[in-house]
Amino acid sequence: MNDQIDKTTEWVCDKCRQALVPQKVKVRYLDGNFEVDLLKCPTCHMVFISDELAMGKMLEVEKGLEDK
Amino acid sequence: MDLDQLLEISNQCIHSEPPVCVASCPVHMDVIAFVSEVEKGNFSGAYKIMESKIPLSRLIGKICERPCEKTCVRSHAGGSIRIGELEKSVITFGYSAPKKPLLLPKNKGNIAIIGGGLSGCVAAIELDKKGYKVTIFEKSNRLGGRLWEYVSNGLEACDIEEELGMIEQKGIEVHYGIEVLEKTLPAYFERYDAIYLGTRTWSKSYVVDPHSFQSENPALFIGGYLQNPNAMTIESASSGKRAAVSIDRYITKASMTASREREGVFETKLHCTTDRVASVESVPLSASTYREDEAAAEASRCLKCQCDACIKACVHMQRFNITPDRYIRSICHNERIVLGNRTANTMINSCTECGLCKAVCPVGIGMADIIHATRESMVKRNKMPLSAHDFALKDMAFSQSDYFSLVRKQPSKEASKDLFYYPMIAFSAYARGLYKGSGKTGYLFYPGCQLSSTHTDYIGSIYKHLVGVIKEKDAMNDVGLFLGCCGAPADWAGRGDLMHDNVEKIRQTWEEEGRPTFILACSSCASTFAKYLPMIQTVSLWEIFDTYGLPEVDIKKGKRELCIHDACATRHDGKIHESIRNIVKTLGYSVQELEYSKEKTKCCGYGGLVACANPEQAEDFAADRIRESDPDVLVYCAMCKDMLVKGNKRAYHILDVIYANETDQSSPQKMPTLSDRQNNRKRLKRQLLKEIWNEEEEGSMDPTYDFTLHISDEITALMEKRFILLGDVEKVVANSLSRQERFFNPKSSDYLARLRIQNVTYWVRYEEAGRDITVKDAYMHRMEVVEG
Ligand code: SF4
Ligand code: SF4
Ligand code: SF4
Ligand SMILES: [Zn+2]
Repeated sequence: MNDQIDKTTEWVCDKCRQALVPQKVKVRYLDGNFEVDLLKCPTCHMVFISDELAMGKMLEVEKGLEDK
Repeated sequence: MDLDQLLEISNQCIHSEPPVCVASCPVHMDVIAFVSEVEKGNFSGAYKIMESKIPLSRLIGKICERPCEKTCVRSHAGGSIRIGELEKSVITFGYSAPKKPLLLPKNKGNIAIIGGGLSGCVAAIELDKKGYKVTIFEKSNRLGGRLWEYVSNGLEACDIEEELGMIEQKGIEVHYGIEVLEKTLPAYFERYDAIYLGTRTWSKSYVVDPHSFQSENPALFIGGYLQNPNAMTIESASSGKRAAVSIDRYITKASMTASREREGVFETKLHCTTDRVASVESVPLSASTYREDEAAAEASRCLKCQCDACIKACVHMQRFNITPDRYIRSICHNERIVLGNRTANTMINSCTECGLCKAVCPVGIGMADIIHATRESMVKRNKMPLSAHDFALKDMAFSQSDYFSLVRKQPSKEASKDLFYYPMIAFSAYARGLYKGSGKTGYLFYPGCQLSSTHTDYIGSIYKHLVGVIKEKDAMNDVGLFLGCCGAPADWAGRGDLMHDNVEKIRQTWEEEGRPTFILACSSCASTFAKYLPMIQTVSLWEIFDTYGLPEVDIKKGKRELCIHDACATRHDGKIHESIRNIVKTLGYSVQELEYSKEKTKCCGYGGLVACANPEQAEDFAADRIRESDPDVLVYCAMCKDMLVKGNKRAYHILDVIYANETDQSSPQKMPTLSDRQNNRKRLKRQLLKEIWNEEEEGSMDPTYDFTLHISDEITALMEKRFILLGDVEKVVANSLSRQERFFNPKSSDYLARLRIQNVTYWVRYEEAGRDITVKDAYMHRMEVVEG
C-alpha cells in the first residue's frame, strides 16, 4: 500500500492542532496483518486515511485477502 | 459438497456436443469451424481444417459421399448446407502443397500394409505420422485402388498421382507387383510387428472387430473393402485411419477400447430444431464449383448448431463468458484450492440463483442449486468473502430487530367498539370485519421486508382490506399481521445458520398463533416458505385479491398496455401468474407477454444478492430485461421495481396499479434509498401500531442529534453505491463533534472524521456552519487501523 500514501497533507488534528506525520501503523483484516506508513497525529495518534486510499488500494487489498 | 457428483452433472452439459453433421461424418470434419472460415473468405484456413481430419483431403474432399448433408439441421429450412460443394471450392481456392515432410526417425515399430488401395494408403500415412516404419505391398503397379475409378468423374489423374506420390516422399517403402497370400502371411508376421490388410479380396475370412478393426489374430488388422464391401469412400478412408490408431495402441500396449466410443459415425446428444429459423434456399452453383463469394454465401446459411440456450438467456453466463460445463469445473477447482486465490468467488456470487438456466436447458442442468450449495460450503469453510453480503445481512438483522418485527392479532371486537357506529359500520368493510372478530387467527398477513421498505404506505390499507373481505366470507377466521424478514438474504448468502434460526422463529410464531395461513406479498418470501417452512400453508396476496376482490378504487377504462415482468421466484407458480394477469386485465390494461415470461422469466438482478455482491452484474440483468420490454413494465415484487426503475425504465408494482397510484407520467420515478428503506420500516411499524392497534411506542429507540445534516443528491448517490447509511454518517459526525475526534483542513475549512461501527470504519468529510453540517464525502474501509 505504501506507494499510494501521502507523505504530507494539509489536514491537521483538530483536537491537538498538530500537523500529521508519517509513521508505521498496524492494519489488519481477516488473516492479514501489515505495517504501513500512514499519516497520524503525533499526540493523540489518530490515523488519517484519504478517500483515494480507502476506496482504492485498501479495497483492493481487502478483496485480495477475502479471496485467499 | 460432492465434487465428483458435480462433475458428473457438468459432463451432461451438451454445450460442447458436436452438431449432427460432424457426428455423421466418419472422420468428424469440424464443419462449424470450416464454414466459419469459408464465410470469412479464408479458404486456406478452411483447407487446414479439412486437412486435419480428412485423410488425403485434396482427393477425398472432392468425392466424399457427404453423409453429413443428409443429417444437416438446415435441411428443413431451405436445404442442407452443401458441405461437399464447399469442400470442393475450398480445395480449389485454398489448397497449397504441403511443406517438405521432416524425415523423423521411425523407431516405434515395423508395420506392413498389404494392399495399397485407399484404406491401405491412409493407414500407411497415419502410421508413418505416428513414427512407425511402414512398408506397403501392392499387387498392381500403382497405389490408390478405388480412387482411380473417379478419374474424369470428380478427380484428375494428375492430382491422384501427385497426392499418392507424396507417400513415397515421406519415406514409406512401397513394393509393387507383390501379391501376399494367406500362406505367405506367416513370413510377414516374423518381420513386422503388426499387419494391416486392405486388399479387395482374401482367401481366408477373419472375424474383425468393427470398432478396432483387429482380427482374431491380434497383430492383424483389417479394413477397407475387405472389412465392409458396402463402405463409402469416406468410410473406407476412416477405417484405415482408425485401424492405424488400433495398431498404435496394440504396439504400445494401450487399451484397445478406452475412450473410442465416438470414433466413426455416432449419435450426438445435440438435437437442434429449425422451429425459429427462417428458411433460406441453398446457393445455386453457377459453374461446376462454387465461386468464392458463392461459397461464402452458402457457408453463411449454416446454423452453427450448438446448445447455448442458457448462455443466450443469462447475462451472468455472458458476463463471465462461461457455460455450465466449464462453470462447474471452475467451482470444483475453487473448492479444492488450499493455498492461493479463489478466483471464482466473484463469479459464484454473481449468479442470481434465478433458475432460468434450468428452465431452458434441454437436459435440465441448473446452476441455482449448485451455486447455493457452493455458497453454503464457502461459508462453512470460512471462505466466503465477507464484503459480498455484509450489508444485506445487516439489513436483514435490522428487519428482525424490534425496529420492524411485529406480530399482532386482529384488533379485538372489544378494543374496536369505537368504530361500530353508523355510518362507519355500513360503509367500512374493515369495521364490519372487526365487528365479526372471533379471536382465532386464521390468517397472518406477512408483507415481507422489501415491500414494507419501498411500498410502505400500502401496507395498512391492504391489511384493512384483507380484514374486510376475508371476514365477510369467513367469519371464523381473523386476520393478524406479522412484520419481519423471511430470511431470503441469509439463504442467498449461503448462511444456513442464520436461515435456520430465522425459520425456527417464524415456525414458533405460527404455532403460537394457532397455525394460521400466511398471506404472502413477496415472491421471495413465497419461495423461502416453500423451501424451509413447507408445513405452513400460504397463499399469495394476489390470489386473495383475485378471488376475494380488489380494494375499491377508480378503475380507469381503456388504459395503456403493460408488459409483465414475472418475478423469478414465482417461476413455477402458475397460480400467481394467472392471478396477476387477471388483476391487471380487470383493471383495464392490456398485457404484452415478454418472450421470457412465466416459467421462463428472467431475474431483475436482485436475486442471489447480486446487487450487493456485484452491482455491475446486477445492472446487466436489469438492462437485459429492459431491452426486452417496450411498454411500461408491471412487476409484483418490490425489488424488481427497484432494479428496473434504477435502470431508467418506468415500472409499476401491481399495488401502484391496484391503488391507482401510477405516478405522473412526465416525472421520473424514484426509489427510496437504503437509508429510506430502513426508516420506512421503522415508520411502518410505528404507524400501524398507532392506527390499527392504538398503541404508542414507549420512547423512541432512535438517538436524537442536535445538528442537521445536508446531503446533496450527488453524495446520496455515492453513499448508495458504497452502501453507506445516513445513520452511519450521523454517528460519525456526532462522535466527531462530541469528542472532537476529527481532522481539520485550514485551507478548505472542512472537517474529516472517522468512526468504526461494527466491522467497518466510516469516514465523513463535512463543512460545519453552526448546527448545519454539509456532507462533502463519505467512504469506508473494512481494514482495521490500529491507532495508538
Ligand atoms: S463431406 Fe464428407 S468429409 Fe466432408 S464433412 Fe461431410 S462426411 Fe465429412
Ligand atoms: S446447420 Fe451447420 S452445424 Fe447445423 S447440421 Fe447443418 S452444417 Fe451442421
Ligand atoms: S443467473 Fe439464473 S440463469 Fe444465470 S446461471 Fe444463475 S440461475 Fe442460471
Ligand atoms: Zn491529535
